[in-house]
Amino acid sequence: MTASRQQLWTLFLLVVILGFVSGSIAVEQMPSWWPASNWFNRFRAHLGLDLQGGAHLLYEADTSQVTREDAESALAGVRDVIEKRVNALGVSEPVVQTANAGSHLRIIVELAGVFDVNEAIEAIGATPLLEFKTEAVPPAPDPLNDAQLAQRKEFNQEQQTKAQETLARVQEASGENFAEVATEVSEDPGSAANGGDLGFVRREVVVKAFGDALFDQLTDGDITPDLVETEFGYHIIQRLESRTATDETTNEPYEEAHARHILLRTKPLEGDVPEYDPWAATGLGGRQLKRSEVQFDQYTGTAEVGLTFDDEGGNLFETLTEANIGKRIGIFLDGNLISAPVVQQKISGGTAVITGNFTIPDARQLVERLNAGALPVPINLVSQQTVGPTLGAASVRQSMSAGLIGFALVALVMLIIYRAAGLLAVVALLFYTALAFAFFKLIPVTLTLAGIAGFLLSIGLAVDANVLIFERLREELREGEAFHNAVREAFARAWNSIRDSNVSTLITCIILAWFGTSVIKGFAITLGLGVLLSMFSAIIVTRLLVEFAGKSSWLADKKWLWGG
Amino acid sequence: MNIIQNRNFYFALSGLLVAGSIVAIAVYGLRLGIDFTGGALSEITVDSRIAADAGIITQALIAGESPALDSVRVQPTGAHGFLLRFKSVSEQEHHSIIMALDAFLGELLPAEEETDVPLEQPDVDAAASGAVVDAVDSGGNPVAIDVVASEPEAQPAGPEFLTEDRFESIGPVIGSELAQKSMYAIVAVLIGIITYIAWAFRKVAEPVSSWKYGVTAIIALAHDVIIPTGVFAVLGAVLGIEIDILFVTALLTILGFSVNDTIVVFDRTRENLARHHHKHEFTWIVEKSVNETMRRSLFTSLTTFVVLCSIFLYGGDSVKYFVLALMIGVIVGTYSSIFLASPLLVVWEQWSRRQGN
Repeated sequence: MTASRQQLWTLFLLVVILGFVSGSIAVEQMPSWWPASNWFNRFRAHLGLDLQGGAHLLYEADTSQVTREDAESALAGVRDVIEKRVNALGVSEPVVQTANAGSHLRIIVELAGVFDVNEAIEAIGATPLLEFKTEAVPPAPDPLNDAQLAQRKEFNQEQQTKAQETLARVQEASGENFAEVATEVSEDPGSAANGGDLGFVRREVVVKAFGDALFDQLTDGDITPDLVETEFGYHIIQRLESRTATDETTNEPYEEAHARHILLRTKPLEGDVPEYDPWAATGLGGRQLKRSEVQFDQYTGTAEVGLTFDDEGGNLFETLTEANIGKRIGIFLDGNLISAPVVQQKISGGTAVITGNFTIPDARQLVERLNAGALPVPINLVSQQTVGPTLGAASVRQSMSAGLIGFALVALVMLIIYRAAGLLAVVALLFYTALAFAFFKLIPVTLTLAGIAGFLLSIGLAVDANVLIFERLREELREGEAFHNAVREAFARAWNSIRDSNVSTLITCIILAWFGTSVIKGFAITLGLGVLLSMFSAIIVTRLLVEFAGKSSWLADKKWLWGG
Repeated sequence: MNIIQNRNFYFALSGLLVAGSIVAIAVYGLRLGIDFTGGALSEITVDSRIAADAGIITQALIAGESPALDSVRVQPTGAHGFLLRFKSVSEQEHHSIIMALDAFLGELLPAEEETDVPLEQPDVDAAASGAVVDAVDSGGNPVAIDVVASEPEAQPAGPEFLTEDRFESIGPVIGSELAQKSMYAIVAVLIGIITYIAWAFRKVAEPVSSWKYGVTAIIALAHDVIIPTGVFAVLGAVLGIEIDILFVTALLTILGFSVNDTIVVFDRTRENLARHHHKHEFTWIVEKSVNETMRRSLFTSLTTFVVLCSIFLYGGDSVKYFVLALMIGVIVGTYSSIFLASPLLVVWEQWSRRQGN
């Protein structure tokens, strides 16, 4: 089916236009005199992380605490939160996707151009876990048996005797230095080394018996005449000085005293209280948070974080404060207690303030994180890949030179083997290269190192179709066919082989793209796209060129030019 | 060329290569990379003034505190580059490993060099660390102005004597998952290609039924995959080259190639059968078809091969062994389509004819 003259020219025109457009898109930077260069230069190649440098992070969500259905939506929530945090980092075109592998729920984060992965990982993984806790009720002490009780009584008796002796040593009559004795005898690990010095203390922070003795019984300089017994043991207390201070928050004056003491510990006769977490979970936390903002204390001007709860959180907070008047509520961030205000009254309205020793940037960061939202479920980093900027740039350079040299070698081989036909194949190959790159930019296909290898490989394969056609042409010419008939036969017969041989490569590419991690996908897509486009260029473009060449009877008669 | 006549020689050659490969795989096993086993890989470039070799770095790393480094392997890449492989670590652990190595390398720096500005140290750091700027006040008296860094602690110091070009840490779960996925992919590609072969040869029946073409193509396929795998088993034992996900990709691509070449030869056999089978024997037809398509097979492989050579030589280290696997695959794939698949078909035809008689 030799095309009519008119059809041939139309086709030729179309191919020329297509070649011009795809070539202009494919070239990275067209000179300004080129028609519509601004428009063509808008198209950019999308380079993968291994070429431009950056970080690829794979997180797995810990969904052990939620049901399967909840896990799916929680994962979507995680993705949104991470997206917000990543955007805050100022990364251009970050990729945050969910990727589920069976029962594992995962998130892929790709950050191009980010090299300080530490910072990025911290920003992404930092779960601002906000929790409100109440004071826990101490558990009942473990009861003692008779023998233990007797032993303890005896021990406490010994401690009392020892304390009496110590008291005698520090009383003015004997004149021994209180601090030295305290260092020697005292069993208070916090103060013994400082000569028993406790610094200035408020009455509220010490146990009642101690406070009564210090503030009611003693005057400045006095040592307690008798032992003071508290739950900790026997104290000998000296009040050194006293003063009146002003409370920072309430602005009310209060008395405080500078004291030192010697402690001889006793063991409780009721038995030991087992270790317990002094704070009890309440279920109120970042989950019920509507928004937060930086505020400033109206008296001191220090930064605070204001919280507004949603309805559920507001009600919960009201109940909590009501039940804990006079007690403390602990506000925990990431498991650390940042403030523990004493509840004065029931608080309704669903707002709270965290006062802590925030600097303004700290407060602002906390607010940003709280507003970005806490992660609905915890996530763990299970795999990471980072490529530095130098390696990426080197890879681009290397791929470029490998591509140019590879192309030149293929062109050389084709010219040597097929002469004039080889030249036409090289022209078709140039067309194919431009077309493929234009497609990569338009779709867009993210080019990775393996992807470029796949594309270069497709250059080798692209000539395969030409080789099949030219070999047929050569055979037909040798059998004495006229040039036009030979061309027609060659294309018609080679087509079956071209189609059949490319199908198997395409099958492989499709499976690889489906199965693929991003590296493999890049390879499969460029190779597969390359195979498809090369079929087009070999069949349409090469044929067109051969037909045009055949119009010149001079060329058509020189059979050796066509390998014949 | 008398390919069919000399078939026993070619069978022997292929048999030897396949047997050798299977032995190599059995003896050495495949050295699996972190893609499949989980682990960490760090590519570093050491400051060019420091003379460090893989041995020193290995010792320094093993002496370190991190348990992930117990089985560390250090491989030199280029003049000052090293590839470190160890167990998978968290980012903090990774950071401290790099910083410890950096400190160690810093001590190796020759004394006369220490006054130099270290690698990649930005100039602002000198000003930030409390430099004094000379100035004069309005009366013309000299005044010293201390330059104080605004946030000295905000910038965590990076390594000074090395740059890390690449770091990967893959958890063991991800690794075993990828290994499983690779198996699925290989099985899927095999099924896809076998189905395709069955479809492509559905019409040929005389004198060799179509499924025999398919089985022969698959034998050639196995041949083409086993040999590169054997070569990599040897490379793994000798040079420490690991099998990674790119190698699996290469194998799958070889599957595609190999069957592609074989199909072109069989296509021609099919065509010649239709034309000549009344006049000639099956052996003659196959011989003719192989010889007719041989130029095409060789030239196509040649063009693909020169491109691969170019990537192997100039395309950088990351894809080097991927491309090597493909190169081996192209060579054995071309060989098998010419010297193995068609002769096998002839042997089979003759054998079944004898059975029939």
